[in-house]
Amino acid sequence: MRRLPVYLLIDTSGSMKGEPIESVKVGLEAMLASLRQDPYALETVWLSIITYDREVKQLNPLTQIGEFQLPTITTPDSGPTHTGAALELLCSVVDKEVKLSSTQQKGDWMPLLFLMTDGKPSDIQLYNSMIPEVKKRHFASIVACAAGMHAQTDPLKMLTNQVFSLDTADSTTFKQFFKWVSDSIGVGNKSIGAVEDLVLPPPPEEVNIVI
Amino acid sequence: MDENNSEKEIQNREMSCLIKEKLNSFGTSISPEMFEEFINFSVEKLWVSYTQNWQEKESSIQDKMNALDISFPNGTTNKEYAQSFIIDDDEFERIEFEGLENVGLQFLKDEAANAFTIKGTPTIAGDFDIKMKCYYRGWIPGKNILERVFHIAVNPDPRSLWKNIPTSSEIEYYKPDSESFLLSVENEKNVVVASQRGRSHAHEGKARDDDFKIEYTDSKWYLTAVADGAGSAKYSRKGSQIACETVINHCKEALKDSTMFEEFIKFYNDDAENPTNRKYVGDNLWNIVGNAAFKAHRAIKDEATLKGAQLKDYATTLLLTICKKFEFGWFIASFWVGDGAICIYDKSSHRINLMGTPDGGEYAGQTRFLTMPEIFSDTASLYGRLKFAIVEDFTSLFLMSDGVSDPMFETDANLNKVEMWDKLWENLNHEIDFSNNNEQINEKLLSWLDFWSSGNHDDRTIAILY
Repeated sequence: MRRLPVYLLIDTSGSMKGEPIESVKVGLEAMLASLRQDPYALETVWLSIITYDREVKQLNPLTQIGEFQLPTITTPDSGPTHTGAALELLCSVVDKEVKLSSTQQKGDWMPLLFLMTDGKPSDIQLYNSMIPEVKKRHFASIVACAAGMHAQTDPLKMLTNQVFSLDTADSTTFKQFFKWVSDSIGVGNKSIGAVEDLVLPPPPEEVNIVI
Repeated sequence: MDENNSEKEIQNREMSCLIKEKLNSFGTSISPEMFEEFINFSVEKLWVSYTQNWQEKESSIQDKMNALDISFPNGTTNKEYAQSFIIDDDEFERIEFEGLENVGLQFLKDEAANAFTIKGTPTIAGDFDIKMKCYYRGWIPGKNILERVFHIAVNPDPRSLWKNIPTSSEIEYYKPDSESFLLSVENEKNVVVASQRGRSHAHEGKARDDDFKIEYTDSKWYLTAVADGAGSAKYSRKGSQIACETVINHCKEALKDSTMFEEFIKFYNDDAENPTNRKYVGDNLWNIVGNAAFKAHRAIKDEATLKGAQLKDYATTLLLTICKKFEFGWFIASFWVGDGAICIYDKSSHRINLMGTPDGGEYAGQTRFLTMPEIFSDTASLYGRLKFAIVEDFTSLFLMSDGVSDPMFETDANLNKVEMWDKLWENLNHEIDFSNNNEQINEKLLSWLDFWSSGNHDDRTIAILY
């Protein structure tokens, strides 16, 4: 069976504590519920969540949507946002988890990456050096989302040309965002044979495209 | 009742007297008002301490309960579900579950072994909260029943979610969602072909991108083409159609008078070691099959220009065979660009002849297309896409799109295993009667294409010369 690996990188730095992170969880739950209703996603999508604050953790290895259970997501009271270290961990898990075609095994679809942050990378040097590494991993699509007023879009634009910003970091916008993420995963699914960047569905109103 | 009450009153009075006497013995004389206040004060203080005591105990048991290593994997509708756990702590005297009936599950316990099982067959998909309730040791009415909420997600059966929306006949380049055809040749092998839109397309009401064309020429050549339009290219359904049409028409024309070509084939059969003989056949094939492919590429390009679209919008693979019976056996030649498979299978000699290798990339869905200019710019690799073989006889010659080869063979390595082809042939024969007089065989082949394979829902096309 061909798998579609999907990686979600979620900012769990101190500023996300409270309502923002709770909203993210609500959004993730809704996303899972919606993906479980999509037969293609149910059979092909494999999901992994990586959180990053001072520490970077892969909360679960790539897991089929049908078996996926939302892990506990915690936030420290304060501290830096190690986005660069998150990308570093991402590259190492992608190398380990994403299967490439060979005569003996069937390769996965090109993976998708969604990165969400409400601030800016504190480890900017590592972040910058990881960007070419991420690009080498051949993601079919990378979508970055800047949530709230303090999120900086410039560093994200170096990672991908698909940068979106959410004005507020509340549950409605997150829910909309994750709904859109699940729709995009659907598109990734169906673009069989896609070699170029995915054409994503238009973002919902709450999501502003950063040019 | 009254008797009881009066008995209690007497007891209370006796108790008051006893306390008063005790106080007197300390030399304390106490007014009735002070005595009343003293009693209230003491009771309140004791009550607070008593409540604190059992609440602390409860909260420590609650912590233990929350720490119990119990989790519930997701279920699937109409699929048996069972999850067991052991609670090896006699502090939890009695465990109950609430809300299981909503999920269609039951709670079974084996008190002796401290083993518990949640099982059943969920009937409805959704997210459910179930409550575990615990009566701890020493629990008496009035105290709290401890609770812990668990979440069980029940997935729908993916098969029940697939919709089958017919393609609107209003769309550009409309083609039917499925097609099948039987070409029967008297006293000779027949060709049957079927093409079925994949579930991923049916779910969204999108058209089938695969196509095929078969012909039997006056000069007794079997011509078979199968093409798989790229799912990501918007007009690939037309690309695959033009590809099949063009190559078959070209081959038909080129083989109208095939006397010379057939002479070369005979020379080759007589002395296959002679490189000149091989070259003659190869050069002729280049003109026939190679040119057919190039013509198809150009025809698609013309259509794209006419439409004002890009060539890659029509991206398609191409599998083509030309085949004829000679007195010494069968001559089979092929051209293959993209994924899928072309294979000559012979059951009696237990041999296969895979007519090339599928084009694949590092990731799923990556392949090469007839519409890529680089296919034709490198003549050496183009020449490599041409194959020919002479076999005494064979059971079947297969051409199939990856919608069939992926679920049936999984990997390229498996395509080279004759056992896998045995399995496919058995599988087909299980449902289809390949005898000569079966006129509904194309219908049967079409329904066979509906087979279920999790995650494999691409368009499926298969052509069999048998």
